[in-house]
Amino acid sequence: MKTQFTVLLLLISFSIQSQNYKFGKVSEEELAQTFDSNDSTIGAIMLYRKHRVDFEYRENNGGFMQKVEVHQRIKILNKEGLKWATNKVRLYNRSNASSERFQSLKGYTFNLVDGDVTKDKLKNDGVFDEEANKYWRYKSFTMPNVKVGSIVEFTYEILSPFIQIDEIDIQTSIPTKVFELKVSTPEYFVYNKLLNPRASYIPKLDVSSSNVTIPFSYSLDVISADLKDVPALKDEPFVNNIDNYKSKLIMELSMTRMPRSNLEYYSTSWDKVTERIYQNPDFGDQLDKSSYYKDDVDAILAGVTDPIEKSFLIFNYVKSKINWNDFYGYTSENGARKAYKDGVGNVADINLMLISMLRYAGLRANPVLVSTKNNGIPLFPTRQGFDYVICMIENEGFNVLLDATEDYSTYNVLPTRVLNWQGRVIRENGSSAWINLSPSSLSTDVTSLNVKINPDLTIEGKVRQQKTDYVAMNYRNRYANLSTDEHIKSIERNNGELEIMDIEIENNKDYTKPLKLTYDYNLADGIEEIGENLYFSPMLFFASEENPFKQETRNFPIDLTYPFSDKYMINIMIPEGYAIESLPQSEKIQFNDAGDFTYLAKQNGSFLQLTVSLNMKTSIILAQDYETFKGFYSKVIEKQSEKIVLKKI
Amino acid sequence: MPLRLLLTLVLMSFSTIAIAQDDALLDASTIPLDLKIKANAVIRYDQVTIEVKSYDKFIYKQTQIVTVLNAQGDSKPGTYVHYNKNIDVNSLEARVYDSRGEEIKKIRKNDFLDVSAVSGGTLYSDSRVKYLDYTPINYPYTIRFETEVVYHSTAFLPSWMPIDGFYCSTEFSEYKIINESDVAIKVKSSNVDNFDIEQHSDYHFSAKNLKSLKPEAYSPSFQTFAPKVKVALTKFRMEGVDGANNTWEDFGKWVHDELLAKTEVLPIEVITEVKELTKDATTDYDKAKLVYEYMQNKTRYISVQVGIGGWKPMLAGEVDRLGYADCKGLSNYTKALLKEIGVESNYAIIYGDRGIRNIDKEFSSVEGNHAVLCIPNDEKDIWLECTSQTNPFGFTAGFTDDRDALLITPEGGKIVHTTVYPTETNLQDTKATINLTNDGSISADVVIKTYGYQYALHEGVQNKPLRDQKLNLKEYWDYINGLSVDAIVYDNDKDNVVFTETAKVTSSSYATKSGKRFLVQPNAFNRVTGIPTRYKNRTLDFEIDRGFTDTDEFIIKIDPTLKIEAMPDDVSISNAYGSYQFSLEKISENELLYKRKYVLNKGYYPKEDYKAFRAFISQIVKHDKTKIVLISKT
Repeated sequence: MKTQFTVLLLLISFSIQSQNYKFGKVSEEELAQTFDSNDSTIGAIMLYRKHRVDFEYRENNGGFMQKVEVHQRIKILNKEGLKWATNKVRLYNRSNASSERFQSLKGYTFNLVDGDVTKDKLKNDGVFDEEANKYWRYKSFTMPNVKVGSIVEFTYEILSPFIQIDEIDIQTSIPTKVFELKVSTPEYFVYNKLLNPRASYIPKLDVSSSNVTIPFSYSLDVISADLKDVPALKDEPFVNNIDNYKSKLIMELSMTRMPRSNLEYYSTSWDKVTERIYQNPDFGDQLDKSSYYKDDVDAILAGVTDPIEKSFLIFNYVKSKINWNDFYGYTSENGARKAYKDGVGNVADINLMLISMLRYAGLRANPVLVSTKNNGIPLFPTRQGFDYVICMIENEGFNVLLDATEDYSTYNVLPTRVLNWQGRVIRENGSSAWINLSPSSLSTDVTSLNVKINPDLTIEGKVRQQKTDYVAMNYRNRYANLSTDEHIKSIERNNGELEIMDIEIENNKDYTKPLKLTYDYNLADGIEEIGENLYFSPMLFFASEENPFKQETRNFPIDLTYPFSDKYMINIMIPEGYAIESLPQSEKIQFNDAGDFTYLAKQNGSFLQLTVSLNMKTSIILAQDYETFKGFYSKVIEKQSEKIVLKKI
Repeated sequence: MPLRLLLTLVLMSFSTIAIAQDDALLDASTIPLDLKIKANAVIRYDQVTIEVKSYDKFIYKQTQIVTVLNAQGDSKPGTYVHYNKNIDVNSLEARVYDSRGEEIKKIRKNDFLDVSAVSGGTLYSDSRVKYLDYTPINYPYTIRFETEVVYHSTAFLPSWMPIDGFYCSTEFSEYKIINESDVAIKVKSSNVDNFDIEQHSDYHFSAKNLKSLKPEAYSPSFQTFAPKVKVALTKFRMEGVDGANNTWEDFGKWVHDELLAKTEVLPIEVITEVKELTKDATTDYDKAKLVYEYMQNKTRYISVQVGIGGWKPMLAGEVDRLGYADCKGLSNYTKALLKEIGVESNYAIIYGDRGIRNIDKEFSSVEGNHAVLCIPNDEKDIWLECTSQTNPFGFTAGFTDDRDALLITPEGGKIVHTTVYPTETNLQDTKATINLTNDGSISADVVIKTYGYQYALHEGVQNKPLRDQKLNLKEYWDYINGLSVDAIVYDNDKDNVVFTETAKVTSSSYATKSGKRFLVQPNAFNRVTGIPTRYKNRTLDFEIDRGFTDTDEFIIKIDPTLKIEAMPDDVSISNAYGSYQFSLEKISENELLYKRKYVLNKGYYPKEDYKAFRAFISQIVKHDKTKIVLISKT
């Protein structure tokens, strides 16, 4: 009895739903409905969304065509939401045989005017076709007569000759009330299915199967979900890539098993994926060829026996010889040989050539496949999961990662785009393994600051800085190409009445050594005289005044990119005629086990000595630790702004 | 016969000289030393010839050699051509040379990338671009670029700008128009006297050894001091429509008759609707306001630029049906609505930008990037920004204020100046009551009211999500550590154009601790923190393009366990750039009143005055940090 009742209810709710969301039928109630939202982020709300993927057999097209059917009904809540009335769909358009077709576009805008529902049809004058370049085409459409309170509704189909299925976003930047998802694939194509495990919203999917009899008989694998109230995905500052946290369904083609043909495997495990990549002539073959550079490399390495020195010479040679054309990829674009000749290449051209040369010189160098930050974290054994390749040397006692695309990157100091969790090293015998890409050692920034207070209350002195690893790389990236004048200006900027003189940089070009920077300064507004007393912050223009972590709560981790240690050693000469009235208290502040801040101040005759240091041993701050971290950082800022008080004697 | 032979010989020897020069220019080491200073790229040679065949056809020929010195100069070789169905690219070729002038790459027409040229904010446009995507191998390198383009749309004749932006010097540049048609060509040169530029004839200019310019803070916009030659055909064809352009008057007449006429027809229901809507309004002002707000609620901005539609507004009836259009369509639609209720208005062409740029009143040509509407009014014209769904009626500060615009009237074009927002009305008034406790924390109620141009800077925040609204205040007061925003209320009084932000905030560590003392900055909520960049030798004049006034009044209530040990003296500064004063008054034992007024005048000043201006701002920064010393009574 009870079960029957449930079934009945289900049927009822189903019929209501299908009635509700029939295309072109929007009720007065829906238009009149208001949404209670305490967060005005939401410019619009997706009342209903349908996303269907089917495969249709087309005799004259030589097989299965993929059909993606989209249906959306969106209510515009405020003026910010008007942009949801415009859509742009990207279509692949290489040649007739391999182009995607956009079809069956229909759309209406519904408004409530004096209690009546009005309906405006999307016509051809609102639809635009743009040939973006030789690969891509855009279909854009914008709905007519849309205002705040309107409901827009549209459907269209994309017909594609490809059997690879695009990732299906379950979340968008607005909330979705009802989402019906259905993906039906013929038994001949086998896909790995995965929902992004990092998402905070992970829906439950139903998996079933059904049968098709026309034009011939085969079975279908069906994934479906009827979802209610899918939350919006909102971006936050300091997130490495918000897509990593988006709820989405990934369907990776792993195998085809066509009748009367052999099974064809696409991917099954990371081992298989790497194996297939290795077999790709634009990857593996690039590692083996050496004839084109042999003579040049022989000349460079003449008389050198130490493997570390060899690697150093080769690394610098590749960096100076080939420029990166800003294209990613783990496969060679035009071949390493051509890149060598032209002096230009993509990531794979450059780094596979580097590996090849290192191997030629007798080092154990191997490629490491990487998914860059923009590409997200690979969830799945898939070749698309990688988009980059770097080099790893695994010699006895000499284990380093290298990337020769950037001038300033060096041993174990990689461009930050690469620092995404882990990479997959492929060894010469074809075996592969995960290696950690996140930097483990602290990048240090040590500043020594001498402070002399003049009778006119200006301050002068000398600054010496020493920067290593990532701190050095970032500094070189920013300043190496600037003239001395511009370099000075950029230090002076936003630092009040500061004047910098006699700036000198050591090891600007020798990237293996720490970057050393020295200069003299004059600071006219560092001291405040109030009454009889002098007040100043001992860190002068190095004190940070602003806490970058301003949000109250967070949903996603903060990515600080690399662990670091920031240290200041300050030496202040107490001016004649003054004595110390008060000094900031020495203090140590802790952030869990991951970070600490120390502030030590002591008087030594007529000198004041301070040591201030901030160490962060981790580069990722989890969302649940955010409040603690924000509090920690706030105390750091507060401490840095504390003043020394001198009194006249 | 001998004369002719001689002429040929002379011509031949000329051309050999030119080629020989060419080769030397491909070698980066031949760049004169003073052209390398502060330059990312050097235009070695640039020759533009425009052959005007008739009023509806001209051929543009360019040969350009650019040496790029570093990565910042990569964009300087202008190796791209825009085209559409009225512009044909006849030839296009680029060659790349290494630092010694050895050719390393040749790029033919078909190897240029061909993409649609849809700019951000535009949904669709039919213009396309062919461009060279080159990855440099080494610096310096040199690109020689040669192109020939045939234009069948002649509304724009490319002008000559021998200095191609900042950080780029020019060794040689030549510009020549050969007029083979019977149409007169107008020409206007500006700023050419200040540079080494020679005028050979009416339509022939050349420049040599123009040193690179570098940008400086507060400098006026580049085009106001860089050399430029503008040209225009007095009779032209634009996307199939013929036009005349002797003066702004006849050009405006053309716009009116050819682009605007017969576009204003509206469906009868809408006419009835707006008449009904405005039937009780008594003045034209009130009627126009109702219609403007009606339009704002009914439409949205969508930009589609196809053919003459790039210049001609969409029909008013279409705008009404679709509920969207670009600036032209929305302005024209509003004009049509106003006409139906008996309010006359004029379409106007203008430069819409935060920076102020005028339509050149001395030289008529196709100019501007935006369209607005102007309702003539005896005291003060009313200007309407029809692409905004939120602007108050008649409010244009920050985008189209204080500049010359081209007004299109049935009688012809007319240059008029848009609304100026004076210094005293660009007001921000901040009032706060601050409670300071004995641990250095504060809680405060703050009310910020903004008017005029400052209204435009502030009101946008109301449409943002709450999270961003809070962040906005935290950024605004980024010098307050541990600031927490507990509540924000906005009030947007569009009738009087006043935006009010009321906030409750706290900071756990506002006062700086020094032993048993606290340092408290009485100016908690409106500090100037940035000092303009210092220049040893300022090379450009400077400009404040909009003046403003800030007034502040903060009451500071101090915890009774603390007492005031020291207090700063009042300050008052006044000079050509503006004025600044603050005062601090003890209104009771534990209550202080801080008052501040800061006025920055609009003005254009010679470069020699920059030091004094910087000193003025620097004084303000210093005084805004002024501190009170409190000491614990216990």
